Amino acid sequence: MTWVAALLVSVALALLPRIFRLDGKPHADWEQFLGRFHPLAVHLPIGLIVLVPLLEIAGAFRPALREAAGLVLGLSFAACLGTLTLGYLLAYGSGDVGSTVTRHMWGGIALAIGVLLCLLARPSWISGALSRIYPSMLICVLLTLVWTAHQGGSLTHGSNYLTEYMPAPMKNILVFGIVRASTPNSGSFYAAHINPIFDANCVTCHGAGKTEGGLRLDSYELLMKGGHDGPVILSGRPEKSMLLERVTLPADNKHFMPAGRQPLSQQEVTWIRAWIQQGASRIVTNLAGISIPVQAKELPLQPVGDYSELMAEIRTMQKGQGAKLVPVSSKPSDGLILNTVDVASSFGDAQLAAFQKFAPYIVEAELGRTGVTDASFQTLSTFTHLRALHLEGTAMTGNGLVRLTQLSQLTYLNLSGTKVTQTTLAPLAAMKNLRHVYTFNTPAQQTPAANETQSVARSAQ
Amino acid sequence: MKQHLRCTDCEQATNVMDLPIPAGMKQEWAAVETRRRFLGRSGKVLGWAALASLLGDRALSSDAHAVNTKTGTATQARDGLTLPHFAPKAKRAIYLFMSGGPPQIDLLDYKPNLAALYDKDIPASVRGNQQLTGMTAGQARFPIAPSHWSFKRYGQTGTWVSDLLPFTARMVDDLTIVKSVNTDAINHEPAIMLMNTGNMNAGKPCMGSWLSYGLGSMNDNLPTFIVLQTKVNAKENNQPVSSRLWSSGFLSSQYAGVGLRSGGDPVLFLSDPNGVDREVRRKMLDAVEEINRQTLAEVGDPETNARISQYEMAYRMQASVPELVDLSKEPQSTWDLYGPDAKEPGTFAYNCLLARRMAERGVRFTQVYKRGWDVHDNVTGMLPILCKETDRGCYALITDLKRRGLLDDTLVIWAGEFGRTVYSQGGLTPENYGRDHHPRCFTTWMTGGGVRPGITYGETDEFSYNVVKDPVHVRDFNATILRCLGIDHNKLTYNFQGLDQKLTGPVPASVVQGLLA
Repeated sequence: MTWVAALLVSVALALLPRIFRLDGKPHADWEQFLGRFHPLAVHLPIGLIVLVPLLEIAGAFRPALREAAGLVLGLSFAACLGTLTLGYLLAYGSGDVGSTVTRHMWGGIALAIGVLLCLLARPSWISGALSRIYPSMLICVLLTLVWTAHQGGSLTHGSNYLTEYMPAPMKNILVFGIVRASTPNSGSFYAAHINPIFDANCVTCHGAGKTEGGLRLDSYELLMKGGHDGPVILSGRPEKSMLLERVTLPADNKHFMPAGRQPLSQQEVTWIRAWIQQGASRIVTNLAGISIPVQAKELPLQPVGDYSELMAEIRTMQKGQGAKLVPVSSKPSDGLILNTVDVASSFGDAQLAAFQKFAPYIVEAELGRTGVTDASFQTLSTFTHLRALHLEGTAMTGNGLVRLTQLSQLTYLNLSGTKVTQTTLAPLAAMKNLRHVYTFNTPAQQTPAANETQSVARSAQ
Repeated sequence: MKQHLRCTDCEQATNVMDLPIPAGMKQEWAAVETRRRFLGRSGKVLGWAALASLLGDRALSSDAHAVNTKTGTATQARDGLTLPHFAPKAKRAIYLFMSGGPPQIDLLDYKPNLAALYDKDIPASVRGNQQLTGMTAGQARFPIAPSHWSFKRYGQTGTWVSDLLPFTARMVDDLTIVKSVNTDAINHEPAIMLMNTGNMNAGKPCMGSWLSYGLGSMNDNLPTFIVLQTKVNAKENNQPVSSRLWSSGFLSSQYAGVGLRSGGDPVLFLSDPNGVDREVRRKMLDAVEEINRQTLAEVGDPETNARISQYEMAYRMQASVPELVDLSKEPQSTWDLYGPDAKEPGTFAYNCLLARRMAERGVRFTQVYKRGWDVHDNVTGMLPILCKETDRGCYALITDLKRRGLLDDTLVIWAGEFGRTVYSQGGLTPENYGRDHHPRCFTTWMTGGGVRPGITYGETDEFSYNVVKDPVHVRDFNATILRCLGIDHNKLTYNFQGLDQKLTGPVPASVVQGLLA
């Protein structure tokens, strides 16, 4: 008899989404009102369910606790049903749809059924008849609980809430692939500036995981398609575009977006407005009146190895040479800076060669105004982690600069006041990470500088 | 038992060292006691402080007490600090301090609608219940004085710049302009103290001292923190600038700024007198050090240590300073860029050039003071002079740093201690007006390592009176500067008077992320 009743309840639960389809349209306000208690109430069944196995285990030592486990399990089921109802009211009432919503919903249903089955299987476990079924079902319930709770968390906080600050190695192991809708033409204004705004502020509620109002902003097509209330972008007419209207409302307005979050910045709004005004194109790369300083992407710092064993040697070297190895920061893996300023006049090729031993740990070499010559390019080519190299004011002519092309990390090279020429500089063209090359006051310097100084003088009058 | 001079009773003399108080406080007492005695003893003590700097040996050393190879002195106070907290974008900074309070409305905070409001009273709602200075509080009217100068848009960014700043206009795409800086103080001394030390009252270490203390020296032969004062122009309204602004406060005096004089010898008495050669000088210093060490052993005053290292620094500066200020080897392109003013020691342009040379030589923090921005009256007479004096120097410095590859890791800051009012102080005529102090908003700019170029941050209202978007308090401004130099402003602290003191003060401050590159 109980088995029949349980079966009926399970079937009813499983059919719930069939009867009340989540059609993506908002329904009665009272449903939403009650539904919004779901995030609060949900913690009750979680706590109760987790308590069950603990009580069962503790019950092995204190029988009274095992008795309590039965009661808690029963309460869990009641709490599950209640929370499930509230959750369903929330999704149905507010018209939420999306893959995460669906997963969360099925998780909740599965959990309620699972707890029910545990409830049925428990008596035979207590009597010792079937010793395996109940424990394994309990484990299944716990796993379902974790998964469902994670889906719920993703709905509330966004799908990358958990992984955003996860240490990189952990991320790699767990492979949390967050699938994003493709945004082609990555050089376009839309891809470079508009889509990232939506990504950061909107897709938590208007994305694949949760699609409030039927609107998704995670791809160009879906953005232009709009939501239940029609298109949100009217190309060329920012003042008529609902999206712009909603994000520019006062934050206390009922329709303000992003609801309950920081408003978009003035600059972001300006960009969106200009983008709509000028055709809301997915391919256009530049907008009139909007200029964004080109930000060359910085290479991430490549950590250097552990040099703690060389500390004694480093100290001896510093004492003997006067040149210093200074840590970039308190983090040893940020590497060392070779600082020669105190002994610049006596620091030459031989002295530099002596530091070769520490080369893999040196990320910046300050050799300005020292006596190093072209012969040192050979030595410097072994400084594999070098990011910045100062050679200003040295007697270098640049013969041998080609050896530096081995330094894949090098982004900064200062050759001001040296004797480099356009010819000796030529090999540097092959170094694609080398972004800052300075050749002021060298034969290689082009003539525009002269023009500039002339114009300075002119306007000073 | 100790008998008081005018008292027949005897009482137990209280010795602080015997009190049941934490050891840290006793130590502090000892330091303060000896410093007091020391200062009391040596009237014109600041003479040597002018030579002060530290041997902040940042070279790798895991010893708890690093020992300087040349002097054997322990670099006591910095030990245990692990700075920078993260890889810095800027290794050094140059702070162009516009003392007196430049009028933002006439320079960078363009308010085109004010022209229509000429001589109308500023709405009371804008002023709110703000307490004004005694100089204008008694005025019957607060008539709006639109800027006398027109503005144009410049650069890729189309930033509005006043006609007063033709050179600054050329580099707007490199600048990070902040229009929403605000301060707590309305008078010069507290405001300038707040900008420099994070506190309106004197006695706290200034930014340069914190940086010296925190980051140490990059060049053993020059001070870590140098202050350059611009020669006073008698036509301007000059407010005093004093060594309180580059004081190390409760930090050891070796972290105080070293002021180079704006005329004559940059450092007084630095050259050896006739008949004293380098060797004699060395012997004399060795003997003095010996005596100082004895004093140190007897009294245990940490300032003795500072003094020993300052003698050494002075000795090395005898060689390094003449080289620093010798401009004879500067190429013609330098003079083309900085202009003829730069040849005259003490001008702003000359100081900008020196600042560049210091940056090249590894001076951590250079502060250039330019006085005279206190334009209470005759704005149209004084402002063109002030701008002409400074505009080209600023541009030349930035351009020079940029072409020499120094701007990548140098942060340059341009700021005064507050802004000026939109309403006229004294009479307003179509030709002239005055502007009073205004703490609620002022405009500053930064450029170089760590900050985002080509942006304008923060907005003021139609009257440039209140900040309406993205306010940046002085503390936030300073926290952001520290951030660019690799410092977490909450972690660079020094325990004094029972408080972990810091540049940004006990009131919470936050780094302005929007300014960072």
